[in-house]
Amino acid sequence: MMQLRLILLWILVGIPLIWGVLRTLENAMKLFQ
Amino acid sequence: MPSFLDRQRTVAPPGYNRFAVPPAALAVHLSIGQAYAFSTFNLPLSKLIGISKSAPDDWTLVQLGWIFSIAILFLGLSAAVFGRWVESAGPRKAMLAAAVCFGGGFLVSALGISQHQLWLLYLGYGVLGGCGLGIGYISPVSTLIKWFPDRPGMATGMAIMGFGGGALIAAPLSVKLMDHFKSATSNGVLETFVTMGILYFVFMTIGAIVVRVPADDWRPAGWVPPSQPKKLVTTANVEVHTAFATPQFWLLWIVLCMNVTAGIGVLGQASPMIQEMFTGRVTAAAAAGFVGLLSLFNMAGRFIWASTSDYIGRRNTYIVFFVLGIALYFSVPSIGRAGSMPGFVIAFAVILSMYGGGFATIPAYLRDVFGTLQVGAIHGRLLTAWSTAGVLGPVLVNYLRQAQIDRGVPKAQAYTVTMYIMCALLLIGLIANLLMRPVDSRHHYAGSGTGGTG
Repeated sequence: MMQLRLILLWILVGIPLIWGVLRTLENAMKLFQ
Repeated sequence: MPSFLDRQRTVAPPGYNRFAVPPAALAVHLSIGQAYAFSTFNLPLSKLIGISKSAPDDWTLVQLGWIFSIAILFLGLSAAVFGRWVESAGPRKAMLAAAVCFGGGFLVSALGISQHQLWLLYLGYGVLGGCGLGIGYISPVSTLIKWFPDRPGMATGMAIMGFGGGALIAAPLSVKLMDHFKSATSNGVLETFVTMGILYFVFMTIGAIVVRVPADDWRPAGWVPPSQPKKLVTTANVEVHTAFATPQFWLLWIVLCMNVTAGIGVLGQASPMIQEMFTGRVTAAAAAGFVGLLSLFNMAGRFIWASTSDYIGRRNTYIVFFVLGIALYFSVPSIGRAGSMPGFVIAFAVILSMYGGGFATIPAYLRDVFGTLQVGAIHGRLLTAWSTAGVLGPVLVNYLRQAQIDRGVPKAQAYTVTMYIMCALLLIGLIANLLMRPVDSRHHYAGSGTGGTG
């Protein structure tokens, strides 16, 4: 139960963070175009 | 009977996995990190009446710029003033208070937008939201340090990385929400404020519910405190009022202030700087990409440098920041003259990683020097260095650039003096860091235990 809760918590904060990082990376790539 | 919010109710049961605490801290820091992306609202807020372009009665960008400045001012003030309360109330109550202030700040600002009353935005996002920023920023710090006595840098670095990451989420999210809500009569900013206020309140409240503090006698499995601690790592504790009167506090204040000043001015001027130093070679879109890249290094540096400090020591980490920073700032004018854009980008990416690293390593440095008893409150007071640097950095960069241009220096070379001034600031930080010594034992807390302050 503790393990499941741990995984869910990391997913909860990980998904928005990864989404934001990817959007920023997409924008950053314009520097090299 | 203790309430759900009290510290006693947040003590973790035996067998609790400590890696559940960093996501709780991240939920708060990812939310309040939105502050760095507030500028995405400035243009839409300046067109509330005119919609497609500013009308005469619309707010100006100068008036709107004060919202962010007030928020950062109140971040520093509230962290300093409420630091002791955060320690005694425990992380759950403090995180919830931060959620109410930060989410509520958005809602009060939304009311200001609907009534077109600018003072409500100053009060809402600026004062109330700023208090949410300050309380939220320091609330998980001492809890994480107590959960990870073996890796305090990594633990606080993970949370403070969230503050850098929050802007990466908020900037595209704000744009998407405003696009979604815009209509012929509204540019969607009011609805976006309401949505974000509710969203951040819920997200931060989840963090408050999840957070746990370790029992006073808890230790990580198999971990034994080192029998011979390093010279600058104390096993004693110093109270916040006592710490405030020690030279060590003020030396660290200078260390943080100089490190932040050197980075924050560049971060604010990164887009025009790269366009002016490489005239005709960098478009506005590419410059925006440069700013994005710096934000990524700012975020990554928080985790990487703070984790590294667990191995090489806090003082050595800051020595690297200052020595490498001086070398990089000193070489930037030559890199610009040589026309090497990759060199320029790499130099500033490393500088910004050390800017983030400075924020993330300071809580562990404070813990090494003053102990864990009131480290959150001491951290809160030290954040006034951030507020100071927030004014000093941009003023220095903008003023010096303008002064150079007024003297007839070409725009491409207008930053040369600024870079050398940054070297001087970093040298001051380096000297302050080298002067760090353990706190005299007469300042040590005479009481027993770790204070039970969460």
